[in-house]
Amino acid sequence: MDDEEEQQKLPDLVKALVHHLLSQNLPPNSPPLNPTSSHFQNSLRYAHRILSSHLTPSVTPDAAAIAESIKRRLATEGRSSEALSFADLYTKFVSKAADVDNKWALLHLFNIISQDRKTAVKSQLDASVFLPNLTISDNNVGPRRIENKGWSDGVVVLAKDPNNRRDIAFREYVKLVKEENDVTEEAMVTDVLYACQGVDGKYVKFDNENNCYVLLDSIRVSRGTTGMVYRLCELGVLFKKVIGYIEQSLGRFQTEDVGTVGQAFCSALQNELSDYYKLLAVLEAHSSNPIPLLSESASSVNYLSLRRLAVWLAEPMVKMKLMADLVEKCRVLRGGAMAGAIHLHARHGDLMVHEFMKRLLQRVCSPLFEMVKRWVLEGELEDIFAEFFIVGQPVKAESLWREGYRLHDAMLPSFISASLAQRILRTGKSINFLRVCCEDRGWAHAATEVAIDTGATARRGGFGYGETDTLESLVDEASKRIDKHLLDVIYERYKFKEHCLAIKRYLLLGQGDFVQYLMDIVGPELSGPANTISSFKVAGLLETAIRASNAQYDDPDILDRLRVKMMPHESGDRGWDVFSLEYDARVPLDTVFTESVMARYLRIFNFLWKLKRVEHALIGAWKTLKPNCITSNSFIRLQSSVKMQLVSALRRCKVLWVKINHFISNFQYYIMFEVLEISWSNFLSEMEVAKDLDDLLAAHEKYMDSIVEKSLLGELSQSLYKSLVVIFDLILRFRSHADILYEGIHMLQARITESSLSSRDQKKTRKQLKDKSLDEGSWVADGKKALTQHAGEFLRKMEQDLDAITKEYTSLQEEFISQLPVQQHVDLKFLFFRLDFNDFYRRVVS
Amino acid sequence: MPREIITLQVGQCGNQIGMEFWKQLCLEHGISKDGILEDFATQGGDRKDVFFYQADDQHYIPRALLIDLEPRVINGIQNSDYRNLYNHENIFVSDHGGGAGNNWASGYDQGKNVEEDIMDMIDREADGSDSLEGFVLCHSIAGGTGSGMGSYLLETLNDRYSKKLVQTYSVFPNQMETSDVVVQPYNSLLTLKRLTLNADCVVVLDNTALNRIAVERLHLSNPTFAQTNSLVSTVMSASTTTLRYPGYMNNDLVGLLASLIPTPRCHFLMTGYTPLTVERQANVIRKTTVLDVMRRLLQAKNIMVSSYARTKDASQAKYISILNIIQGEVDPTQVHESLQRIRERKLVNFIEWGPASIQVALSRKSPYVQTAHRVSGLMLASHTSIRHLFSKCLSQYDKLRRKQAFLDNYRKFQMFADNDLSEFDESRDIIESLVDEYKACESPDYIKWGMEDPNNMMTGEGSTAGSLDPKSVV
Repeated sequence: MDDEEEQQKLPDLVKALVHHLLSQNLPPNSPPLNPTSSHFQNSLRYAHRILSSHLTPSVTPDAAAIAESIKRRLATEGRSSEALSFADLYTKFVSKAADVDNKWALLHLFNIISQDRKTAVKSQLDASVFLPNLTISDNNVGPRRIENKGWSDGVVVLAKDPNNRRDIAFREYVKLVKEENDVTEEAMVTDVLYACQGVDGKYVKFDNENNCYVLLDSIRVSRGTTGMVYRLCELGVLFKKVIGYIEQSLGRFQTEDVGTVGQAFCSALQNELSDYYKLLAVLEAHSSNPIPLLSESASSVNYLSLRRLAVWLAEPMVKMKLMADLVEKCRVLRGGAMAGAIHLHARHGDLMVHEFMKRLLQRVCSPLFEMVKRWVLEGELEDIFAEFFIVGQPVKAESLWREGYRLHDAMLPSFISASLAQRILRTGKSINFLRVCCEDRGWAHAATEVAIDTGATARRGGFGYGETDTLESLVDEASKRIDKHLLDVIYERYKFKEHCLAIKRYLLLGQGDFVQYLMDIVGPELSGPANTISSFKVAGLLETAIRASNAQYDDPDILDRLRVKMMPHESGDRGWDVFSLEYDARVPLDTVFTESVMARYLRIFNFLWKLKRVEHALIGAWKTLKPNCITSNSFIRLQSSVKMQLVSALRRCKVLWVKINHFISNFQYYIMFEVLEISWSNFLSEMEVAKDLDDLLAAHEKYMDSIVEKSLLGELSQSLYKSLVVIFDLILRFRSHADILYEGIHMLQARITESSLSSRDQKKTRKQLKDKSLDEGSWVADGKKALTQHAGEFLRKMEQDLDAITKEYTSLQEEFISQLPVQQHVDLKFLFFRLDFNDFYRRVVS
Repeated sequence: MPREIITLQVGQCGNQIGMEFWKQLCLEHGISKDGILEDFATQGGDRKDVFFYQADDQHYIPRALLIDLEPRVINGIQNSDYRNLYNHENIFVSDHGGGAGNNWASGYDQGKNVEEDIMDMIDREADGSDSLEGFVLCHSIAGGTGSGMGSYLLETLNDRYSKKLVQTYSVFPNQMETSDVVVQPYNSLLTLKRLTLNADCVVVLDNTALNRIAVERLHLSNPTFAQTNSLVSTVMSASTTTLRYPGYMNNDLVGLLASLIPTPRCHFLMTGYTPLTVERQANVIRKTTVLDVMRRLLQAKNIMVSSYARTKDASQAKYISILNIIQGEVDPTQVHESLQRIRERKLVNFIEWGPASIQVALSRKSPYVQTAHRVSGLMLASHTSIRHLFSKCLSQYDKLRRKQAFLDNYRKFQMFADNDLSEFDESRDIIESLVDEYKACESPDYIKWGMEDPNNMMTGEGSTAGSLDPKSVV
C-alpha cells in the first residue's frame, strides 16, 4: 500500500469534511464557503487538533462489547425490532467487512452520532453540533492573535513526523496555549504556592476587600486556569485565617483570654500546619522543575502543573477547611466549650477527617482531662483561666457542699454526659468537703487506690479524648471510693445517725421523759410574758431536765449541742410562744442540717411542743379530778338541786374532757406512728442504701418533707393547721375553766366538811380538809344557806361556761374532722379513722 | 428526775406478787439479785430510777415497802437470793407477828395502830424521790392484812398524798374453790369500797381467771401460787414498760391512766396478756404479728378477769377504753393496718356516748430477757363487764350478811363496835352504785344518767342520805 498516498488523502478528507459541515451550517443567503477564509481555516485547524489530540474515548476497544451495548440500549428504549435489525447488520458487518481494521471505532462513532443526533433534535440545534466547540473557540481566541502565525507550520510538522502525529498535534496545541497566555503555568504554580502560604505572588494577590486571592487584571489566562487558580488559592485564604487565629491567640499578651485549651488548640493547629509546611516545601521544590510537554511525560522528573498541584493540595485543602471552620467556630469560645465545639465536628464519616479530628481533639482536650483527673483524685480545681466545667466559689464551710462548686454548663463539652459530669463534680466536691469540712486525710489513700486500680491508662497524661470509657471508669472508681469514704467519715467519725437520732429524741420529742420533765420545770417560767424570761435561767432548766432524765446517759457531745433558743418576741407573747430547742449540728454536719433545715425542725418542734403542752394540760386537768379526789360523801349535805348541778357540771366537764382527750391523744398517736416513726424508719432504710452524700441529703430532705407534710405544717395544710391551733387554744381555755371548777368544788367540799364537823362524827374528817378550811373563804361566814346559794350560782356559771366551750369545741372539731377526708396531698385516713374509731361522730352526725 | 413510783406490798399475797414483780424488773434491767448492775447491762435506754434508786455503793434498791402482819412470807424473802436487794429499813413486820387472822377489821385496826411507823417509811421514801408520781399497792382483797391494812393505807395515802396517784394491783379471790377464808365476802366488800373511793386505778387480778388461764392456756393441771404469781408479775412489768423505756408517748403513769379512765369512778382495769408462758415452760413459737397480738388480746380466754356475765349481759358489755402495750420489734406501719382490721371486723364493742379507740403503745423489749416470741402484748382495758365481778361479790356478801354470819369477829374492832354495821351497808351501797355506773356506761345516754333523780344516785353513795335537811331548800 502506498502510504504516501494515504497520508495525502487524509488531510483532504478532513478538509472536505470540514467544508461539508460548515457549509451546512451557513446561513441560507450567504456566499458559498471560501476554503481560504479564516473561518474555514480555523475550523480546519481545530479539527486537526482534535484528531491529533491524544484524547481517546473511554471505551474498551472491543467491537462486540460496543455492539452489545448498542443492542441493549435499543432494547431498553423499546425499539426491539431495530435492535434485532442492528444485530443482523452487525453480524453481516463482522463477517463481510473483514478488511475493516477498527471495527469498534466505527461502531462507537455510529453510536456517538446517533446519540448526538438525538440531543440535537431535542435542543433544536443544527448540524454544527458535530463540531460543537469549533465556533466558540474561534470567537474566544479571536482571529487577531492567530494571524501572525503560519498555518502551514502545523502542516509541515504534521508532515514531518507522520508516526508521531498525535504528539505533534499536542505540541502544536501547547504552543497555541502558550501563545494564548502571557503567564506560564510554572509562574502560576509558583504564585499559587505562595498564596498557599499566605504570601502574595507575582500575579496572584490577596484582595482584602473580598477576602480572597485574585489574579491580576493585567494578565490574561484561560478561564479554566483562572478557575483552577482560584480554587487552589482558597487554601491560602483558609490558611491565612488559621494562621491569623493562631497568631492572634498566642500573640495575645494576656493568656487568660485564650486559656490552656485554646493554647492546646493552637499548638495542635500549628502541629498540623507544620505538616502542611513540609508539603509546601516539597511542592516548591517540585515547582522548580519545568512542566514537561506531553512528549516528555515519560521522564520521571517531578514537576508541578496546576492540575498536579490541585491533586497535591486536595487533602490539605480538606484539613485546612476543617481547621478554618474550627477556628471560625472557636474564635469566641474557650475551655470546655471550645472542646465541645470541636467535638461536634469529630463525628465524621470520612476516615481521614475522623483521624484528623481525633488527633486534634486529643491535644485540645488534654488540659481538660488533666483537670478532671486532678479534680477527681486530688480535689484540686486547677483552672486558672476558668475553662473547666466545674467552678468553685469561696463559701462558708457549711454551704461548701451545696454552693461551693457547681457545673458550668457552657463549659461542659458534649462528649462528657451530664450524669458523668455530675459524678465528676461530686467526687471532687467530696474530696474538698472531706478536706475542708471534715479535716480528713483518709481520702488521699482512697484516691491513691483508685489511681492504682484504674491502671496505667489513667496515669498522668495517659488518657484523653476518645477514651471516655477510661474516664468513666476512673470517675466511677474514684467516686465510688471517695463517696464511700465520705459516708464512712460522716457516719463513723461524725456520727450522723446518732445526731439524727438525737434530733429526733430532743427536737422531735422522742425522749419522752426528758420532754416531760422539761415541760414540768419550764412550764411555770414560760407562762410569764416573753420579755421577762431569762434565757439564762431557761438554759439552766434545760440542763436540769437533761440531768434528771435518761438524757443524762447520752453522749456529752450530743448534749452539748442541745440549746435553748428564744425566738424573737412581740409584745403580748408569752414564754410559750418563744421557747424552743435547737441543735447545733456543727461542721460538717451543718451541710445536712443547714439553717433552713434547722428552721424547719424548729417549726416541727414548736408544733409538737404545743401539742405536748396541750396534752400536758389535759392530763393536768385529769389529775385535779382524778378518781380519788372527790369523795362525794362530802356532798350529801348539799341541797338536792345544787347536788344535781354539781353532778351535771362535773359530768359535762368529764365528757368534754373525754372528747378532747380522745382527740388529742389520737392525734398524738397519729403523730407518733404515722408521722415520726414511719418517716424515721423510711429514713433509716434510705440511709442504708445511700451511696453518696447527695443521696443522704436527699433522704434527709425526704424525711423532713414527710414529717412537715404529714404533721399538717405544709403549705397545703394551712387551713387544717389553723383550725388545730384554734382547737389547741380552746383546750387551754378549757383547762383553766376545769381548774376553776375543781377548785370551786374542792373549796365547797372543804366548807361542807367544816360546817358538818360539829354535827357529824369526827371519824371521817380528813387532814387535808382540815388544812383547807384554814384559809378563810367568803362562803363560810354566811352560813349554810348562803353557802348553798353561792354554790348554786357558781355551778350555774360554770355550767354555762362549759356549755359554751363544749359548743365551740364541738363545732371546731367537726370542722376539722370534716376536712380530713378531702385532703388530697397527704393521707390522713389513719388520723380520720382513729379519731372516729367507734363511729361516735358518724352517729352524732346522722 | 424520774416520775418515781413507790410500791407497797401488803400482806402475804401482796408480798408474793411483789417479789415476783421485782424479780422480773431485775431481769429486765439487768440488775443482779444483789442489786448490782450486771456487766452486760450496758445497752441503756431504760429508766431504772422509776422503780429503783441507787445506794451510795451503786446498788440498785427497789422503791418498795414490804409490809406484813406476820413474818412468814417476808422471812422467806429475807432468806432468799434476793435478800440483799431490798432496803431493810423498808421492811415492816408486825411486832407480835400474829397476822390479821383473815379479818379485814383486824388488819384495818392494826394498820391504824402502826400508821406512824409505816407513814414514816413512806415519807422517807417519798422524800428520797424528786418528783414522786404515785404509789402502787399490791395486795389481795380477800385476806386480812392485804385487804384490811391495805384499805387503811389507801385512806391514809389519799389523805396525805392527795395529789399523788394511787394504783393498786388487787388480787380477787378464786371463786371456784371453796376458800378456807369464810369471811372473804366481807373482806372483799370492805376493801372494794376503799378501792372505789381511795384509789385512782385498780388493776383487777382475778385469781379465778389466773387459775383458769394456768390450766387452760398453760396446761398446768394444778397451778401453784408461784405460777399464777409469775403471770401477775408479767402483767405488772409489762404495764410499766412505757414508763421504763421512754418514748414519744405514755411516759408517765398519769398519762397512761388518764386516757384509760375517762370516768373517775370506773377505774377498774382488766388485763390481757399474750403470748402466755410461765417460766421454763417450753412453748410453741407462734407467729406474732401486731394484728395477731391485738386480736388475741381481745379474746376472753386471755383476759385475766373472769366474766360472770350472762350471755345477754355479755353482749351488752362495752369497752370504755383500751390500751395495748406492744413490746418487741414492731414495724409501726403494722399498727395502722391492725387497727383497721379490728375496726372492720368489729372485734371491739366500744361505748356509744363518747369517742373511744384502741390506743397502742409500742415499747421496747428488754434486751436482757430472751423470749421465743418476737412480739408480746398487754392489754389494759376498762370494760363494763367487770360489774358482774362486783355483783358476784355483792351477792356473796348478801348471802353471808343475811345469815349474820361471822360478824362477831368484826364487832371486836372499833369500826364495828357497838354493833355499828353501817360500814357494811355504806360499802354495799357504794359498790352497788359502782355497778350501776358501769351499767349506765353501756347505754348511749350515760351523760344523762343519774340526772333525773339525783337523790337516788347520790344517796347510793352514803348511808346517811336521810340526814339531808329538806328545810334548807332555797
